[in-house]
Amino acid sequence: MALTNIQKQVRMVFDLNKCLGCQTCTSACKTQWTDRNQGQQYMYWNNVETQPGRGYPKYYDMMGGGWDVKNPTYASGLTEPLSALRFNSPLPKVNESYGAPWEYNYDQVLKTSGGTPTKTQVVPSPDPSGANAYGMNWDEDVATGNYPNAYYFYLPRICNHCTTPACLAACPRKAIYKRQEDGIVLVDQNRCRGFRYCVKGCPYKKTYFNHLENKSQKCIFCYPRRTDSLEATDPQPQLAPTFQSNFCFTQCVGRIRFVGFSGNPAANVNKLIDTWRVALRLHPEWGTEPNLYYIPPLSPPGGGTSTEALGTQNRIPVDVLASMFGDDHLQTHAQRVARIEEIFATLASERAKVAAGGGSELIAILTAHSEADRLQLHLG
Amino acid sequence: MKEWTRREFLKAGIVATGTLAASELLAFDVLNPVADPYGAYPYRGWEPTYRNQWKFDYFGRSAHSVNCTGSCTWRAFVKNGIIFKEEQFADYPEINPKIPVHNPRGCQKGANHKEYVYGAMRTKYPLIRADYPGNNQNRGKGNWRRATWDEALGLIANKIRDTIQSSGPDTVNFYAAIPAKHFITVAGGFRLANLIGATAMSFYDWYCDLPPGSPQTWGVQTDSCESADWFNSKYLILWGANLLETRIPDAHFFTEARMNGTKVVAIFPDYNPVSIHADIHVPVKPGTDALLAMGMVKIIIDNGLHDVPYIKQYTDMPFLVRNDTNRFLRESDMVDGGSDAKFYLWDTVTGKAVLAPGTMGMGPPVDGALTLGAINPALEGTYPVGTLTGNITVSTVFSRLKLKLMAPQYGLASVAAETGLDANLIRQIAIDFATTKPARIIEGAGVNHWFHNDLNNRTEILMLALTGNVGKPGSGWDHYVGQEKIWPEASFFKLAFPLGRPRQRFQNTTLWTYVHADVVSDVDHLYPRTINQYIKESVDNGWMPLWPKGTLDNGRQPKVLFIWGANYINQSKGWNDLTKNLLPKLDLIVDLNFRMDTSALHADVVLPAASMFEKWDLNSTDLHSYIIPFTPVINPLHQSRTDWQIWRSLAAALQATGFSFNDTTAPFSPANPQLRNFSTLLNDFDTMNTHNTNPNIPGDPGPFSLANDKDAAQFMLNQAEETSGMTMDQLVAQPRRFPKTSEAWTSDLKAGEAYHNFQRLVERKRPLGTLVGRQQFYIDHPTYLGVREELPVYKPPVDAPTQGQYPLRWITPHGRWSIHSTWRDAKFQLRMQRGRTVVYLNPKEAANRGLQDNDEVVIFNNHGSEIARLDISSRIPVGMALMYHGWEKFMNTTGWQEVTNVRINPTQLAGGYGQLTFRLNYWGPTGSQKDTRVEIKKKV
Repeated sequence: MALTNIQKQVRMVFDLNKCLGCQTCTSACKTQWTDRNQGQQYMYWNNVETQPGRGYPKYYDMMGGGWDVKNPTYASGLTEPLSALRFNSPLPKVNESYGAPWEYNYDQVLKTSGGTPTKTQVVPSPDPSGANAYGMNWDEDVATGNYPNAYYFYLPRICNHCTTPACLAACPRKAIYKRQEDGIVLVDQNRCRGFRYCVKGCPYKKTYFNHLENKSQKCIFCYPRRTDSLEATDPQPQLAPTFQSNFCFTQCVGRIRFVGFSGNPAANVNKLIDTWRVALRLHPEWGTEPNLYYIPPLSPPGGGTSTEALGTQNRIPVDVLASMFGDDHLQTHAQRVARIEEIFATLASERAKVAAGGGSELIAILTAHSEADRLQLHLG
Repeated sequence: MKEWTRREFLKAGIVATGTLAASELLAFDVLNPVADPYGAYPYRGWEPTYRNQWKFDYFGRSAHSVNCTGSCTWRAFVKNGIIFKEEQFADYPEINPKIPVHNPRGCQKGANHKEYVYGAMRTKYPLIRADYPGNNQNRGKGNWRRATWDEALGLIANKIRDTIQSSGPDTVNFYAAIPAKHFITVAGGFRLANLIGATAMSFYDWYCDLPPGSPQTWGVQTDSCESADWFNSKYLILWGANLLETRIPDAHFFTEARMNGTKVVAIFPDYNPVSIHADIHVPVKPGTDALLAMGMVKIIIDNGLHDVPYIKQYTDMPFLVRNDTNRFLRESDMVDGGSDAKFYLWDTVTGKAVLAPGTMGMGPPVDGALTLGAINPALEGTYPVGTLTGNITVSTVFSRLKLKLMAPQYGLASVAAETGLDANLIRQIAIDFATTKPARIIEGAGVNHWFHNDLNNRTEILMLALTGNVGKPGSGWDHYVGQEKIWPEASFFKLAFPLGRPRQRFQNTTLWTYVHADVVSDVDHLYPRTINQYIKESVDNGWMPLWPKGTLDNGRQPKVLFIWGANYINQSKGWNDLTKNLLPKLDLIVDLNFRMDTSALHADVVLPAASMFEKWDLNSTDLHSYIIPFTPVINPLHQSRTDWQIWRSLAAALQATGFSFNDTTAPFSPANPQLRNFSTLLNDFDTMNTHNTNPNIPGDPGPFSLANDKDAAQFMLNQAEETSGMTMDQLVAQPRRFPKTSEAWTSDLKAGEAYHNFQRLVERKRPLGTLVGRQQFYIDHPTYLGVREELPVYKPPVDAPTQGQYPLRWITPHGRWSIHSTWRDAKFQLRMQRGRTVVYLNPKEAANRGLQDNDEVVIFNNHGSEIARLDISSRIPVGMALMYHGWEKFMNTTGWQEVTNVRINPTQLAGGYGQLTFRLNYWGPTGSQKDTRVEIKKKV
């Protein structure tokens, strides 16, 4: 569906087969954008969650939001989205859903300033204990299934800068907009009055409410880092074009992140999504048409106790992956399963081709010789 | 308020262009109409809000001096004099267009160093423990008084003078870790120690990062490929090396290799993070790794998959061993006055025993010395030989290995049962490994931190050597635990030890801690003699040093301890013995630090050091072949000084004491004294031994002044062949690859090729520094013969008799959230974890104990107890409790070493035998901690 107002749309691919779960992306974002005032301390515009797991905020995938496609199992037969916006979902709670950020009394413990010299225990406040304790990465490496068949994978998430963003549609002040020149979705910090309908509307819960500023805030795709048509002089004249990308992309040390603009066939994101068709959207059934795609995770066969396992089976059940990833909101579960199996077959055959001494465009892209292979916003 | 439908939404997007002319001037704080937020939003004048947040005044290049092996170059952005953002520089030059680049390098910890620059733990001015001197039991309580530099340095200088006078210089100890992470910072302390006669302590063996199997087999501390060479492997075994968590900047080479068709096998007891990206996960039972390796060795040999020409040429497999004494057949057995370091092969061409070329006794290790020429050695067999003392039989090492492998414990069924693995899986991996070349094993702390780490190392290396997988690109045994090797080694030693290394007292820290913490051995039952008898033998024979001299007989004790660039007290195994017995013996503990860590907290004097972004220094690693600089992006904050300047100012304070003495304590003597004249100390520190004496290094012959940090760093670059010609300013512009390697490395560095190990052995047939000149699997040192470890064998984990009732294996791996203790206390990091110390347990083990997720629990055994929060995860097998290491003691009143013990393995005390010769951080007892059992209960 052509959306002519948007001249260019950023598109992203995250290769989950390379994700280290290291949260360097999270830290890259956090230390630039959300570590300076208290109202932002709980925000992770970028987060990485262990899946299957409860995610961040906790159980976000069950909180609603997005477009109601009138069929929660996104069954077949739907030829056109008939959805209404679902923005009356509950708001996540700071303590239970996000986990309030901890502070530590190092001043008292390590130095005399104001402390009792006998105190030797660092006391975080709030104390991350008790049944309701939670945090951005609480379920880190907590696997599903039983040892030795346990499984898990890492899922990094940022704002999807959706083609049909529910946050934008939900805002009663029209303070959220999608930029013409790159398709990124921004919350106007002047107009926002903190009504929080965007938080309810976004099914990925990638807008956050700053209770001190009474505004909603979210990923800005590091627009000040990139050449920006609105302001000729960005404060980074010494950065090479490939690094004029978002922090979470340039800092991704696992090199899993690809970014480029839709419509340019030379961009590797488009080759991965459209040509090789190895990347899927997270929860496309929510109807927002995310512009972030994932290469689904392979996994070693379960158990490790039998030669049967030395084949190509993945220990992560394909049903689990199909419940998360797909092409669009029209697809059935069975179609998603088939797509994921098709992707795994493509990866296997291209890997084998290279192992046998052949060449593969797909593998060349995935192994990404240099930064210019992954960060391609400069291609236009 | 109108509810959008998705259809309307899309429609609005299509038709509404061009209708919006509203300007920013109309943006009153009322609900202005925005006809179309989808593309043509009129009020974009707010966007500079975030632009202003990103604006900066300047940026500078620096790095992080932590023992992480990353060696990552970062840029720090500064606004109004404050570092507000760190970013990976990502400008390492490409090696080869066919190999992924080393960019970016960094991790979430490096991105958050600024917390240490500005956080509450930052040390700002000199501190002296409020109730110092005496009251040593009151250390660690955070009760300080602020001091001036003059007062703190004067106190330390006077104490050093008094201690040397009353107890001798060898009671003053300098403990630092990892020169490669910050050459100048480490060199400064050692330089002063060298001048005043203090003892320099080891770290690599003590941290159990040294893989003893490497010096045993290859005669080198360790030599590993740079991570880019992982991409060249076709079969990659990750054996206890959790690359995803512990080699974050390098891990992409392995995920990319896998995508490139490399088969990846992960051998770990738990389904840990790196296993999720493997093709096969091998859930081996903890501590049985060497048995698995031996099982695979047997399969490889039984199936004839060993590379006969390779092992004849490059290993001791064809060497002849006397069947009467189990010792190698030596020239001294055959010829009057023959050498002890010349050995024999059975030549099938001439049908007799002939001297093997290239052994230690055959001359210098030059290129081609290993060439066999007309000799075709027998790999197997028993042969008669006439010696000086009569006729005997000899058999080859390979025959002995095959005999060893016939023991029932190495049969496949037995191996499968004890490792907990399926027999078919073991067979398949062994065969695939032996037939898919090049194959590589990356070994990590998961294997090396066991008591029998040398056997774990040797059995794995044996798998590789038998299949010809050492010395070629994409192959090898690569061990990355610690940022151990310094590229410009010659200049580092020149800088650190101006009087020369022979005139420096060195100390293996494992032995020092064991003896002075009065540790009671719990492994005596495993050996024919007690551990203390082995120690006595080793010290009496001069195999291992032990300072202060005569400790074992006359009870002399250490008195003063300096700690810098390290966290000795926090990281020490056997925490309870350390705090109960060793620390009270010390009259003065001084810590140089930019943050208040556990060691600083337990010190008597804390000297505030510049942080990593406030000084000049240099950094290198095994994981890549570049050298990177530190620069003072900002000036040292508060009253902090760079470590180099702190050592200089201490030299000045010592000079002010006017002290001078003739050092006659070993290795000196009344006949061979070393004059230590403090009245010229600062000048000596700044200029001693700064002449250039290497003819291969052109330029100014010196002497040079080392008075400032940058000059000291430039001196290091100038005085080593690997970096000669480079300038600090060039490195600040961009990291550079080393043009060449020294003899400390086993390969040349070639343009366009990723560095890999033992290329000189295979391509140039140059002997190794072992007794046999090759990869040595048979070690006929009496200690090894006495404990039946002359060949690689499997010995089960040490279960001390006192620990039978504790059912859980205590596994403390390196994790992703800290580099040892650094960043363990960092708030922004903790917020991305569970906020405090956690221990992982399998759901069944938790249920058996009635424990819930996030419960506060006590972990305990006969050594001590620890407190943590429970994290229940089915990635952990039953029978194991896992806590990532490095927690600062003050985080939860306890750390993770309360339940461990210091143990000494007698094989690692051996000396007087070729490659088994003490050298700091290269050969000496390692401080293992994985053979520990615990129980867990709910804290009440």
